[in-house]
Amino acid sequence: MNILKEITEILAEILDIENHNISPETYVIRELGAESIDLLELAVALNSGFKIDVNDDEIFLRKLRQYITEAEQQDNDILQYLTEKLPFLMQERLEEIMADIENGPTLKVKDLISYVEMQRNVD
Amino acid sequence: MKFSGNRALILGGSCELAVILAQCMIEAGLFPLLTYRSEKGLEYILKSLKTSQKEYSAFLLEFGNRDSMNSLFRQTDDHIDYMIDFVHGNFESLIASADVDRIYSYFAENVSFRAEIVKRVARIMMKNKRGRLIYISSSAAAMPNPGQGFYAAAKLASEAIYKNLGLELGEHGITTITLRPGYIDAGRGGRFIRLHTHEVFNKVPIKRALTKKEVAETILFYLSDSASGFNATEISMDGGLTAGK
Repeated sequence: MNILKEITEILAEILDIENHNISPETYVIRELGAESIDLLELAVALNSGFKIDVNDDEIFLRKLRQYITEAEQQDNDILQYLTEKLPFLMQERLEEIMADIENGPTLKVKDLISYVEMQRNVD
Repeated sequence: MKFSGNRALILGGSCELAVILAQCMIEAGLFPLLTYRSEKGLEYILKSLKTSQKEYSAFLLEFGNRDSMNSLFRQTDDHIDYMIDFVHGNFESLIASADVDRIYSYFAENVSFRAEIVKRVARIMMKNKRGRLIYISSSAAAMPNPGQGFYAAAKLASEAIYKNLGLELGEHGITTITLRPGYIDAGRGGRFIRLHTHEVFNKVPIKRALTKKEVAETILFYLSDSASGFNATEISMDGGLTAGK
């Protein structure tokens, strides 16, 4: 199963857009304009399509800022802390996110792919 | 009556009203999935539905126990078209004299646990792109007696959960209703009516209690396709009890 292809089709259907506008580097919220209800649909579709458990807060990086604040308050290394809290994201991706965080929601299609890959290995 | 779905999860499936509803559902061609919390409850279901053995299923669900919830959802095969929620623990106490630990556990069981079930059922229904949930509340939610504060608070909180679900997912084919029955001649209500008949009927404009059968048939109607325009709302069925002073 090609995860990117599946996720692209799911996103295209939910957001009523063309498949070719979506790549791993596409921002889900910032570019595609996904709203809360779309993300809920996406979570349900990923759960159903890939037969994996989906934690909405984790996959959509909803606690990202909270984790950064926690790391700062506890005087922890932020990247190290994020690696523990968001284990489906590689250090390189977390660095990208940290550099990009002030520009808006950082969630990209490739993050969804990473989450699905991790959960499929877990399940 | 016409129904788009078939499988109906009935939470609190061993109460008298739920069993009568299950009988009505079976007659209407629906497949009830009743939950029970004790062997006694299961026995009551088995005895009441003994002529319809292959036309329903029964599952253990201990409200407040998340392992029990996980087990329930493993067995329902991700296919639930309707949910009817009768469950509600009783907690009679004056606010100022309530046991604090009991307050916390009561809301955990009757609000938080219910919210998780509603969330999980909603996600199952989203996969199928349709679903109908009916929460059986009580006229006490709107008009509690002294000692019913926690009961009413938990009912109102649960009503809000169902209402918002209907607001949020109506466009996805998932709708909700809260039914607020008044005095019903069943269970705790039935015992109260027998003890306070004159006082109760004086307060109700129709001068009688609701029968189990008429409440069950009303719930069935609200599950039907004809009632699909009702969403995210509370409906009183109390003979006029809460309409006046």
